[in-house]
Amino acid sequence: MMRCPSFRYHAAKSVKEAASVLADEGPKAMLLAGGTDLVPNMKRRQHMPAVLVSLRKVKGLRGVKIAKDGSATIGACSTLADLALHPRLAKGWPGLSRAVSSIASPLIRAAATLGGNLCVDTRCNYYNQNHEWRESISFCMKAPGPHGTAIQEKTHGTCWVAPSSPRCWAVSSTDSGPMLMALGATVTLESKARGVREIPVSALYGDDGMAFLKKMPDELLTQVRVPAHAGAKSAYWKLRRRGSFDFPVMSVAAWVKLAPGGEVEDARVVLGAVTSRPLDCPEAAILLGRKLTDESIAEFAEKASAHARPLDNTDFQAAWRKKTARAFLAGALKEIRGDDKATLGVLAQRVMQGASCLG
Amino acid sequence: MVKRSGFREKWGKMPPGRGVGLACSTYLTGAGHPIYWNDLPHTGVQLQFDRSGAVVAFCGATDCGQGSDDVLAAMIAEVFGLTTNDIRLVTGDTGITPVDLGSYSSRVTLMMGNAAIQAAERAKALIAEAVSKKLEIPLDRLVFAGGRVFDASDPAKGLTWQDAVIQGEAMHGTLGSTGSYKPPAVPAKYKGGGVGPSPAYSFTAAVVEVEVDKDTCFLDVKKVWIAHDIGRVLNPVLARGQVEGSVYMGLGEALMEESAFRRLPANLSGALVHKQPSMLEYKSPTTLEMPEVDTIFIEDPDPNGPYGAKEVGQGPLLPMPPCVANAVYDAIGVRVDESPITPEKIAKAVWDKEHGREGRFGPKDFPVIEWPEASKVKTPAEGGDGTASNEKPRKSKLMASGFRLAPDSPGAKVEGVRS
Repeated sequence: MMRCPSFRYHAAKSVKEAASVLADEGPKAMLLAGGTDLVPNMKRRQHMPAVLVSLRKVKGLRGVKIAKDGSATIGACSTLADLALHPRLAKGWPGLSRAVSSIASPLIRAAATLGGNLCVDTRCNYYNQNHEWRESISFCMKAPGPHGTAIQEKTHGTCWVAPSSPRCWAVSSTDSGPMLMALGATVTLESKARGVREIPVSALYGDDGMAFLKKMPDELLTQVRVPAHAGAKSAYWKLRRRGSFDFPVMSVAAWVKLAPGGEVEDARVVLGAVTSRPLDCPEAAILLGRKLTDESIAEFAEKASAHARPLDNTDFQAAWRKKTARAFLAGALKEIRGDDKATLGVLAQRVMQGASCLG
Repeated sequence: MVKRSGFREKWGKMPPGRGVGLACSTYLTGAGHPIYWNDLPHTGVQLQFDRSGAVVAFCGATDCGQGSDDVLAAMIAEVFGLTTNDIRLVTGDTGITPVDLGSYSSRVTLMMGNAAIQAAERAKALIAEAVSKKLEIPLDRLVFAGGRVFDASDPAKGLTWQDAVIQGEAMHGTLGSTGSYKPPAVPAKYKGGGVGPSPAYSFTAAVVEVEVDKDTCFLDVKKVWIAHDIGRVLNPVLARGQVEGSVYMGLGEALMEESAFRRLPANLSGALVHKQPSMLEYKSPTTLEMPEVDTIFIEDPDPNGPYGAKEVGQGPLLPMPPCVANAVYDAIGVRVDESPITPEKIAKAVWDKEHGREGRFGPKDFPVIEWPEASKVKTPAEGGDGTASNEKPRKSKLMASGFRLAPDSPGAKVEGVRS
């Protein structure tokens, strides 16, 4: 049995108090929300925080508020189950609803939080193993020694996926991140040193398996603001071996605003789990002013899938994940276009089946 | 099963991307020889009765979820005309119970079941003798049913089960009995003839319907029809659970379960490491991946099985991998010759086919093996006696060393062991 290393537990009562503890303790303190990713990682010694600052007793971090202008403000400690079952989110932002309901299993969603999923550690087959296994391969760049992850600093150690690489290629495994990026959402960060700042979700991530978060260690992610959908449509397609529960190994988050005539007014498409950050596809621009026809969708999918350059450090072969990206890019847009589920094929049914399992 | 699944109407006739596959298999019901050679029974059951009418059965067989406890109680209850609620069980504790070799080889129902029937029949004879004498009913007219022991020609004349046990105890003293089971001697005397014989063989046929995504070759199993020759169903719920569990396990093997190695770069390490080091990477289906399973039982009682029953624990998983492979071929026209049958492998075979090569993924050839000359054995119908015509008569090393069992020791008269 794997046990957690010892740590001090600090149950903060307010955001201010939590920020103050983070400031005082420095990088050896970590935030604990649902703990569904952090605690197993601690047992396997990917993380050995000296202090855990629990957010459970912090009031005001849980819940969804829809403002008069139609925008949604979601507390970072809202559980994924809260969000998956939220009828107004499902109606206005179906892509977000599907993204959160596709994360892990119902039991985990009951504890895991939105903030936790946005900040979820990057994953790699050489990294997410127990201490003894990693020790037997002399650890890796992301966890270069027995004390786990180096905190956003380059250190010695090999990247076993790409041994000549100076950087870590662990895979961004958040489902909510790509979708919130596509929706143009922002996150609020609070710290003792810098106060409150609001940044786009796209600015939350860095393209490095170790330095994958631009959030500073002393900052708390307190809330997510999603702009009004204003009739725009969204979809989230997640590739995984099992529709029941698995981390994403490739995903497509799409947001499209159509003019009354069917032309694309605005579109954002983000690829998840193909590199160390959610990847924006600027090719969405080629859809502007055009209708979502089979041709425009195929042209977009062909070009955008060039971004997906997955490596062999997740489930499924990398080459197949890349090939699937094209089908998923096209599929998500066809769903937005309103294609019948039956015509989208077996994979679409699987993608949608996952979302039907709420809770 | 072909009829139930509509196989003939579907095979080769479904829309592109959809297909059905069929496969058959057979499996043993316990091995003819114990895992370590000896002349002892493979299983034992001990029964204890007391004047309250209580029946306690002791057996080393372990119920690991398959329901062997229920089988044990059912066998005994059937002999005495009781219900399974009337039988108390003490199982799996080797400090208290007679030895059972364990839950492997699909052997427990057949072997433990036969031992339980033997033990129960022996006790039944003791009780019947006492009741026959007490009520002056001829032995061959006594019926054990409905919790009573009574006269077949005058059902009102009889005793309750408890009173019958009391009569038995009064006549014979404290009542108890034992039963044990050892498979029939293996008639094969040729080299290698000890491998594979079994008291009974089960047979399975399955049809699987799949859908393969044409763009990604992602594979989805839509439905499974499976027919299993179980001999006799002892408990329909448990038997069905075993079949569905086997289908689940077989689909895991067919679709995703894999244990492969990869080598780290030679200049840095060269070590071989597991590609699926933990259960996070070693994927098994979950209940949500399970398709609908239509289970059909073929009941053709086997003379060697307890009340004709044969195994249902492992056989039904065997047809699943070839079934899925055949269904993929029907759906998309390529063959995957190794498990697991993953979308990547199907996609590679499809790509090969589109580029003029054979649409086939898997080992390209069979390793060259220099086989020894095959043993030539005549069948019983041809007058064969189990020896091979191209082998010298053999003796075991033990026998060749001069070892002999004492003539009256258990097992000294085992058929097939020639001194």
